Amino acid sequence: MTLTLVIAAILAGLAGVLGVRSIIAERRRTRWTVVLMILSFLAQLIWLGMRGEQRASCPLIDSGEILVFLAWSLSLFYLIVGSAYRVTLLGMFSAPVVTVMLLTAAIPGMLDADPAKQTNVDYWGEMHSAISVLSYGALALGAVSAVMFLVLDRLLKTRDTSSGLFKKMPPLHVIVQSVVRLTVIGVSFLTVGLACGFMMRSHGGPHFWVAVVVWLAYALMLGVWFVRGMTPRKMSVFVVVLFIASLSVFAAL
Amino acid sequence: MNLFCLGLNHETAPVEVREKFSIPMENLGQRSHQLTTLDGVNEAVVISTCNRMEVYVATDDENLTDAELRVKQNLGFDPDDGAHFYECQSDEAMKHLCRVVSGLDSMVLGETEIFGQVKKAYQYALEATATGGVLNKVFQKSFGVGKRVRTETMIQNGQSSVGSVALDLAEKIFSDLKNSIVMVIGAGEMSRITVQSMVLRGVKKVYVTNRSYDKAEALADEVGGEAVRFDDWSKVLATVDVVISSTGASEPVVRVSDIEAVRKQRKYRPLFMIDIAVPRDIEQAVGEIDEVYLYDLDTLQKQVDESHARRQAQVDECEKIIESEVQKITNQQKYHG
Repeated sequence: MTLTLVIAAILAGLAGVLGVRSIIAERRRTRWTVVLMILSFLAQLIWLGMRGEQRASCPLIDSGEILVFLAWSLSLFYLIVGSAYRVTLLGMFSAPVVTVMLLTAAIPGMLDADPAKQTNVDYWGEMHSAISVLSYGALALGAVSAVMFLVLDRLLKTRDTSSGLFKKMPPLHVIVQSVVRLTVIGVSFLTVGLACGFMMRSHGGPHFWVAVVVWLAYALMLGVWFVRGMTPRKMSVFVVVLFIASLSVFAAL
Repeated sequence: MNLFCLGLNHETAPVEVREKFSIPMENLGQRSHQLTTLDGVNEAVVISTCNRMEVYVATDDENLTDAELRVKQNLGFDPDDGAHFYECQSDEAMKHLCRVVSGLDSMVLGETEIFGQVKKAYQYALEATATGGVLNKVFQKSFGVGKRVRTETMIQNGQSSVGSVALDLAEKIFSDLKNSIVMVIGAGEMSRITVQSMVLRGVKKVYVTNRSYDKAEALADEVGGEAVRFDDWSKVLATVDVVISSTGASEPVVRVSDIEAVRKQRKYRPLFMIDIAVPRDIEQAVGEIDEVYLYDLDTLQKQVDESHARRQAQVDECEKIIESEVQKITNQQKYHG
């Protein structure tokens, strides 16, 4: 099974390398980045399917499974958003993140060597975990897009407009749109995930309250963005910082 | 069958000479056909643009000089014009055509417009039955070479003018200019050229302001925009996405305080500011505001120069492609006898 995970990581890694190479060589954007990401996504799906069989539940029990689920969710949103908003360059930015997540999950000790079959499954709990991790995929990709914005913003501010990276970047407006849309999608999923968590047989632990704080922080940021307005740079910094801070939800499990 | 080319361009002839030999586009077919009625001229294509006039002739006349003389006479050539004309034959003529089609012989190195102009001139000649087996093959081949040069090299990469660099940057920020509002401060020539290129890309609205309101109105009429009194431009600032400033003022016209005053109203949306005035119209500190992207004339010109240098560095590679393609044709001709 670990082999499937390593193959998925290699495929995503190759997608990242191809993307970087096409930028350095100033060649046309290659479709292979997307193809490799699709293959990596499928390999992750196979692994999650097999692991789900072993667990007899949603494979979100140990840290390794959470990482793989996050990587899968990020790949899923990349494949949906990348083509929808013409930001396929996002692959170059998200592929390394997926690779690192998968390789980290494959480190001995991250995954239970002998995953115990779950009995007495709480379906609200299952829904809560799956939808919340899915929301983290969207929020992670939002953070990746925000990094893209910060890179392009820096290039424009320093008038460094002749590099291959600058030419390959989608327009600033498109990146801002995708950051906002991904964050809205992520927060929407998180809302549903939290509602499911509220319905769980046992809730109210530190994990639940950290998740509520994360949700509030994102909601507040989106509120300011839509009502008062905020510079795209500040919004991007917030999206990145909030995502990193929000990972504390998993630490509080 | 022999091939020769006779012509003049921006490098060999001043504008008054180029004007004399210029032929309107709609007459190119007829002019090409006229040449084929001359003794020894089997096929002809006449190309005429603002920077060049060239004639490509296929002749079975063994003595090329005689055919050339007849063509020159027909074009209204007098001895004084001799110094402005260049001539080349056979492979050299083919190479020359490939260089022209590839934009290597253009005033703006690597420009793409010439490709369409030559194609159109050939089309007119073809429709006027002025071409045959030789020139059809030569021109079709040159179009193939032109495409290869443009796809395999970076000869057309980058922008060739300050206006086009500004336009590219605007599209890099706002993606589609159809939703962008532009404000022009100062109704001078530079502003006119820059805003016109943006209007061609379909900007949503243009505001023009100038110390002399009449001039603002004149430019606004020309570009389909709205004139704004100079005292009122800051009121419009909250709605615009792009500011082009080119006044003759000796003090900055746009200050940090002007932008700060409308930031909240603008909801901190990106603002692209193009300062093409000397001395500069926009305070440099404006560029330090988070959502403002400020570019002055020197920065834009530097990018034009870099782009030109990059194109220049591609010339050798383009010449190699042309050389090898022409060599292929020569070899094919030898093979087929």
